Amino acid sequence: MGLSNDRIRFNVGGRIFETTATTLANAGRGSFFGALFDENWNLSQPEDLFIDRNPDCFAVLLDLLRTGDLNIPPNIPERLLHKEAMFYGLIDHLRTAKWGPFDGNRLHLSRSVTGIAPGDGTAIRAGPDGGCCVAHGSVVHVFDWMLEEHPTINLDYQRVNDVGWIDSGNIVLSACERLGRGDGGMGLFSSSSGELRYKFQVSHDNQIKSYSAGALSFSPDSKIFTSCKGRSNEYGIGVWDQITGKQLDFFYESPGWSLGDADKLQWLSGKNCLLVATLFPRKDNCYISLLDFRDKNMVWSWSDIGFLATAEEKRVRDAIAMEESNSICVVNEFEDLGFIDMRMDGGGSSVRWSSRSRLMKSKMPDEPCYPKLALHEGQLFSSMNDSISVFCGSDWVLTSRLKRSYGGSICDFSIGGDRLFALHSEENVFDVWETLPPPII
Amino acid sequence: MSNQKKRNFQIEAFKHRVVVDPKYADKTWQILERAIHQIYNQDASGLSFEELYRNAYNMVLHKFGEKLYTGFIATMTSHLKEKSKLIEAAQGGSFLEEINKKWNEHNKALEMIRDILMYMDRTYIESTKKTHVHPMGLNLWRDNVVHFTKIHTRLLNTLLDLVQKERTGEVIDRGLMRNVIKMFMDLGESVYQEDFEKPFLDASSEFYKVESQEFIESCDCGDYLKKAEKRLTEEIERVAHYLDAKSEEKITSVVEKEMIANHMQRLVHMENSGLVNMLLNDKYDDLGRMYNLFRRVTNGLVTVRDVMTSHLREMGKQLVTDPEKSKDPVEFVQRLLDERDKYDKIISTAFGNDKTFQNALNSSFEYFINLNARSPEFISLFVDDKLRKGLKGIADVDVEVILDKVMMLFRYLQEKDVFEKYYKQHLAKRLLSGKTVSDEAERSLIVKLKTECGYQFTSKLEGMFTDMKTSEDTMRGFYGSHPELSEGPTLIVQVLTTGSWPTQPAVPCNLPAEVSVLCEKFRSYYLGTHTGRRLSWQTNMGTADIKAIFGKGQKHELNVSTFQMCVLMLFNNSDRLSYKEIEQATEIPAADLKRCLQSLACVKGKNVIKKEPMSKDIGEEDSFVVNDKFTSKFYKVKIGTVVAQKETEPEKQETRQRVEEDRKPQIEAAIVRIMKSRKILDHNNIIAEVTKQLQPRFLANPTEIKKRIESLIERDFLERDSTDRKLYRYLA
Repeated sequence: MGLSNDRIRFNVGGRIFETTATTLANAGRGSFFGALFDENWNLSQPEDLFIDRNPDCFAVLLDLLRTGDLNIPPNIPERLLHKEAMFYGLIDHLRTAKWGPFDGNRLHLSRSVTGIAPGDGTAIRAGPDGGCCVAHGSVVHVFDWMLEEHPTINLDYQRVNDVGWIDSGNIVLSACERLGRGDGGMGLFSSSSGELRYKFQVSHDNQIKSYSAGALSFSPDSKIFTSCKGRSNEYGIGVWDQITGKQLDFFYESPGWSLGDADKLQWLSGKNCLLVATLFPRKDNCYISLLDFRDKNMVWSWSDIGFLATAEEKRVRDAIAMEESNSICVVNEFEDLGFIDMRMDGGGSSVRWSSRSRLMKSKMPDEPCYPKLALHEGQLFSSMNDSISVFCGSDWVLTSRLKRSYGGSICDFSIGGDRLFALHSEENVFDVWETLPPPII
Repeated sequence: MSNQKKRNFQIEAFKHRVVVDPKYADKTWQILERAIHQIYNQDASGLSFEELYRNAYNMVLHKFGEKLYTGFIATMTSHLKEKSKLIEAAQGGSFLEEINKKWNEHNKALEMIRDILMYMDRTYIESTKKTHVHPMGLNLWRDNVVHFTKIHTRLLNTLLDLVQKERTGEVIDRGLMRNVIKMFMDLGESVYQEDFEKPFLDASSEFYKVESQEFIESCDCGDYLKKAEKRLTEEIERVAHYLDAKSEEKITSVVEKEMIANHMQRLVHMENSGLVNMLLNDKYDDLGRMYNLFRRVTNGLVTVRDVMTSHLREMGKQLVTDPEKSKDPVEFVQRLLDERDKYDKIISTAFGNDKTFQNALNSSFEYFINLNARSPEFISLFVDDKLRKGLKGIADVDVEVILDKVMMLFRYLQEKDVFEKYYKQHLAKRLLSGKTVSDEAERSLIVKLKTECGYQFTSKLEGMFTDMKTSEDTMRGFYGSHPELSEGPTLIVQVLTTGSWPTQPAVPCNLPAEVSVLCEKFRSYYLGTHTGRRLSWQTNMGTADIKAIFGKGQKHELNVSTFQMCVLMLFNNSDRLSYKEIEQATEIPAADLKRCLQSLACVKGKNVIKKEPMSKDIGEEDSFVVNDKFTSKFYKVKIGTVVAQKETEPEKQETRQRVEEDRKPQIEAAIVRIMKSRKILDHNNIIAEVTKQLQPRFLANPTEIKKRIESLIERDFLERDSTDRKLYRYLA
């Protein structure tokens, strides 16, 4: 151990490393090195400082501290490196260096994870820190950002309708009810241990009722929204507080309109409204509405009732609101994009379908999946069959296509934690797409 | 056989889990425990961080996280219990120092232990949602030291004693104080609040309750406020020195409550030193202090303001209703202005120009100025006085200041139309007698009145100025077209538009022949240039300059009124004239003639004629001769008319009546305007609306409004509703 002009010598698992205190200072006070060099600890040992750890991994992590870049030689298993980084308290450094800020046009397939679930996947949701969860039937598999699998979660083993991350430690799950048993509904789980923290109750006229929870959405002011179907006529959208778990509100559906069966909920912060979309074939028609909970008002609505005689093939399969352009983007089963203007009263306005129809009707795969839409920082993503298209610009020009050769159609995908996760309908596999770290210069 | 036996063999399940030597965990923990002991005993120099970290890591890795966690808590607890005994043993003054020392030691140890247990903090504690190492260390200190029964109250009492000592003037170790109180803050907001702040506030409240009682018995109001202010700054300083900044609001509110809010009434009303006394003696500092302190408590300023208002009203009422003081209108108004200046200064220097105080001042003035019905007249007279002579030698800026102040008083008047009446009269006199000092000042005031009350209010006043200007031009034209008139007497005519000027009945009189010739010439000139007009002579308003030569050849120029000129001209032809003769020759109405003769004969130093017999008053049997012995050191002698400057009682009645007459059409117009837009309205509402609409000019009398309504009903402008008699209906 040489302390002259801040040079430091380590003996890590038998190999000698030489570095500087300045380099190690990059690790921060909350790391092994930060504590090691704190003045509380007397470091006046004459020989090299011995650390009983793997020297190969130390070399990688030392380079990470030196350059900020992560380079993993092929002979080092990632799991081992993660473990070593955990020991030194450098896991956050590693996480930051592993992949760059999300850009839909610069994505690379980083891994494919194969699961053991028996059936088709229902949904995949990206977590805020790069983890994800995958719903298969009545069970949800949870993966952290290292793609290590954690204990699965379930709500009385009832069929899962939707899942969502409140934060990196908490997952909300919505499931069907089991008649007469009060099972199912909605619950909050720990993402790391899989334990149920609490179930969300729904009550009507001060009576607790069992219900099926459908699509989920969260607002920045800690509210959870879900579409609910109760036993009698308790159909509508329920609102809960994420922190207390208490029911805050309930928006009952009006006759002739569908809310409780909604496939998709989206909280619009700018408009202070919730987008609710109930789509074919859950109902015979498609209903899209914007709800304002402050005065219990449906401020905007659209339906395709009466439009179908002429355009049989243009069934809306997914919808997403784009607040910046004041429009709702919809997609049909042939991946034609359409737009509805939110400024006009939805009752009379029709969908403006883009002419980009890609004539895929002829080569439909045996087991098609409905297309899905996602919006991330001005880029629009649309999944169809085995690929995901990326659209950019105000005219939504197709700029990239993400495709992988096996796994069959993509049944769901999700963007979060600077990663894109795509769940395939066959072989129980999901892909992880990342943006590479920024270039050297 | 053997085969059968073999079949009976049980095959043991293969052990998947490798069980770590249970002793391993104990051994590792012992190493760590020893290290914690050493750290607490300040003997950590020989410890290897790497080794300890690795051991703690291994324990967590091998699922002994819980053992490590509970072990660290138990070890730390036992150390803290030991420390609390040591602290408890500390005597007297060293108690706080001991706590502070041990607290610093604990903090350092805690930091090192957290370093060792960093991996546990990050993984085991995170996933099990237990309390992290550092906050746990603080909680242990709180529970085992601060809340230790033998320390808890002793610590609090020591701290409170020190504060008490500092309050009574002793010097204490503020640094130590700060460190110990910082400890409470570090332990969390609730600890600071429950274990220190709350008792501290209670003790302070008790202290100030006693002290304020003591002060209020022994000090006068000014001194008390000084002491309260001092205490308040001391407490604010104390917070800055060694308390949490959030406590400032709380402790100041304690002082405010005990020292001010609880004694508010007594302070304000304190005899010989309370608020009224301060106001009377212009004690700006004390008033400012009172304002700043009372502002801090609820209803504080309201109390101050109410007392000030009632004092102002009382004082003002005495001022305006004292018959002695309203003898001289100029002084009367000057006194009002002085009072306003005084309170303006108090509000601006001591009360921070507080809007609510300014409003209180205004409303008080409004209240008492209108208690004296003659206020409008007096204010007009004050202006008259200033514009006649008072403004000489005063800079324009100061003129503006005086006029602005007058306007301020004017604003308080409820009967602005009365003021207008008087103002018009006074202005007319000023203009006709040529006595206004400054045309600019006159006009400036008119502009001010215009901005205050609108165009209508001043249009007639402006008309008067226009008449003056046109008359000048007319005179130039007249003499231009009659060059032969440059010899002989000069006639200056001011043509006044009827209606613009205060109407006074034209008093006829016989002008001397020389003058009436000129008048006729002017009449024909004027009517020749303007068609459709009628001229009538207002001889009662004119003046004349005449040259007189007295017995011993004294030459003087006399400045007299038209009437006086008529009388004097008679003496050109005769030496002695009786009253009757004069009356006959001039045909001046008796009252005016008497006044005119009085001023000619009875004013000492200006008696150009002599009356026989000598007496003050003019009798019908008197006779008059030229005073040949008249002397004066001036060549020009101004003979005034004996006029009461203030209105006499009958004149006052007359003006009043004229005002009332003028109000009638205005009230009627207002009623019609309102009814035209509302169509149907009940009695009370109509009264309220009319009053509101006329407020800028005068305060309409409800009985008068009722009379006007009756009159309008008679004239078929309105009708009563046939079902509800209280409702009036507008008839288009």
